[in-house]
Amino acid sequence: MTVTFPQKGLPWLLLLPQLLVTAVFFLWPAEQALEQAFYQEDAFGLSREFVGLDNFLDLFTDPLYYQSMLTTLVFSFSVAIFGMSIALLLAVMADRVIRGKLTYQTLLIWPYAVAPALAGVLWWILFDPSMGPIALWLESMGLDWDHYLNGGQAMILVVIAATWKQISYNFLFFLAGLQAVPRSLIEAAAIDGAGPFKRFWTIVFPLLSPTTFFLLVINLVYAFFDTFGVIDATTKGGPGQSTNILVYKVFEDGFVGLDLGSSAAQSVVLMAIVGVMTVIQFRFIERKVQYS
Amino acid sequence: MTDVILENVGKTYPNGYHAIPSVDLSIEEGEFIVLVGPSGCGKSTLLRMVAGLESITQGELRIRDERMNDKEPAERDIAMVFQNYALYPHMTVYNNMAYGLKNRGVGKTDIEEKVSNVADMLGLTELLQRKPGQLSGGQRQRVAMGRAMVRDPKVFLFDEPLSNLDAKLRVQMRIEIRQLQRKLGTTTLYVTHDQVEAMTLADRLVVLNKGKAEQIGTPMDLYDKPATPFVASFIGSPSMNLLPANLVEQGIKLSETLILPLSHAHRGGVVWGIRPEHLEVSDEQNADFALRVQAVESLGAETLIHGALEDQSGRITSLVIRLSGPHLPEIDSLIWLIAPTKHWHVFDAITQQRL
Repeated sequence: MTVTFPQKGLPWLLLLPQLLVTAVFFLWPAEQALEQAFYQEDAFGLSREFVGLDNFLDLFTDPLYYQSMLTTLVFSFSVAIFGMSIALLLAVMADRVIRGKLTYQTLLIWPYAVAPALAGVLWWILFDPSMGPIALWLESMGLDWDHYLNGGQAMILVVIAATWKQISYNFLFFLAGLQAVPRSLIEAAAIDGAGPFKRFWTIVFPLLSPTTFFLLVINLVYAFFDTFGVIDATTKGGPGQSTNILVYKVFEDGFVGLDLGSSAAQSVVLMAIVGVMTVIQFRFIERKVQYS
Repeated sequence: MTDVILENVGKTYPNGYHAIPSVDLSIEEGEFIVLVGPSGCGKSTLLRMVAGLESITQGELRIRDERMNDKEPAERDIAMVFQNYALYPHMTVYNNMAYGLKNRGVGKTDIEEKVSNVADMLGLTELLQRKPGQLSGGQRQRVAMGRAMVRDPKVFLFDEPLSNLDAKLRVQMRIEIRQLQRKLGTTTLYVTHDQVEAMTLADRLVVLNKGKAEQIGTPMDLYDKPATPFVASFIGSPSMNLLPANLVEQGIKLSETLILPLSHAHRGGVVWGIRPEHLEVSDEQNADFALRVQAVESLGAETLIHGALEDQSGRITSLVIRLSGPHLPEIDSLIWLIAPTKHWHVFDAITQQRL
């Protein structure tokens, strides 16, 4: 249905808040970053010099940048895959719960209301080598836990912290997706001789594919760009470069290292990555599986 | 040979709701049984209990002398056609039909042969590579049937399979289902709320009311000798005229002034019934009673006349008569009618049983 406005001004007035927010918090900073990416600025912001593509050239010849990219890929795919598998498992189980369904589902949704930094701090305390209950338990099991020294363990910690927060969100979508699968399809498959596992993998899971794909993109975007708080509260990118993902490196190089030009160039690269991911998302979502 | 036996089968839900008190039914091999009743009468529940989709909380279900109460749906060797067809939307027509065979470990060449035979029979050969979303309602219905037929099960179960089709297609599919069932000779249990579908398809009908089988019999049995007023009003369209009356020495007393002569030993409250097509138009002298015309429905081949039976006390009882061919009586005019004794149905008002 199309609604047409008699006045020319009203539609713009209604759009204004959205446009304003987009302009102030996205377009303007984006333009600033884009501009900055072509300048070299001194640490105090007193003078700057046009350097063309030098910032980008430096970036793409820096082995640390490639390492950060690899770290980001490992981190992001781990978060997306663990977050989605665990959420799917929980959703499948919640779908079968009959008594206390609402309580159970509500409890599972709560972590989503926790701020990323807080989630980071929570797991940081739980895994603290000298006093964290989980770290102590691991030690009693004979596993030496110290994410301050061990880069692999630091990565595991940030993946757990970032995943934990995202499970709730994934859970909600998977549960809704599961409930949208008609019961009669499951019943027809049961009569057709498929056991519970086979029913899930041949009927339910394929029908969830639009949800799964949507969540994959959302989770990757989350892990790529929204996990600054988690990293900052737990490992600050360390030890060494082991958890220094791209979005954290932007902050670290720009506001800690005060290399604003390189930081801006990194932001531009990140923006390009978001763009590509969005295009992929729309391409696939439009080809999503048809529900009968 | 008796194929399916329901013995004292009942269903009580965990919350205490007594959906089906008790049903006894034995179905012969190759028989077409229709479960019919108004919505909420438990007919779908009963069918799902036979399928194994609902548990049986009382009694016993046997298929070919084997107790089925605790068997999984897959182990009962039944096939079901659902109301919404329940086709797997992400699979092609071919895979929809092959799914059950694959799960049972049938060889690939066997599957191909079986599917192509059934597709041939149902005219689906051209559509095998399409997905359900690309099919019309009637085609989906056929695929659902094909999926049931391809496994060659002991029993077909149909749960209102035609209710999502338009009227014309419904009549066509009804005939097709009947022909296919005759050809395959597979025992069939079919649920519907549509009494025309029930009458035309069934070898025997089971009329369900509040989870109880009111009457089991051939369509003509139920039409000619309904056991209760419920069956009488449910079978036949338009419904049988049912009037409250008293059985006295002189006969059926419909009102203070209107007594239809009958000699019967029973005394007391009864329900007197006659089908609209059994009332005959007559003249004032020979008539049993007069009807004041209220509405006329001309259907071409027949005419339905709705009217009121008036008595001195001003009490009005509605009646319908069905006459073949066109008739155009004036509204508010009187029509004189004969109700032939051989077409009467008399039920006890309290026990609701046929007298």
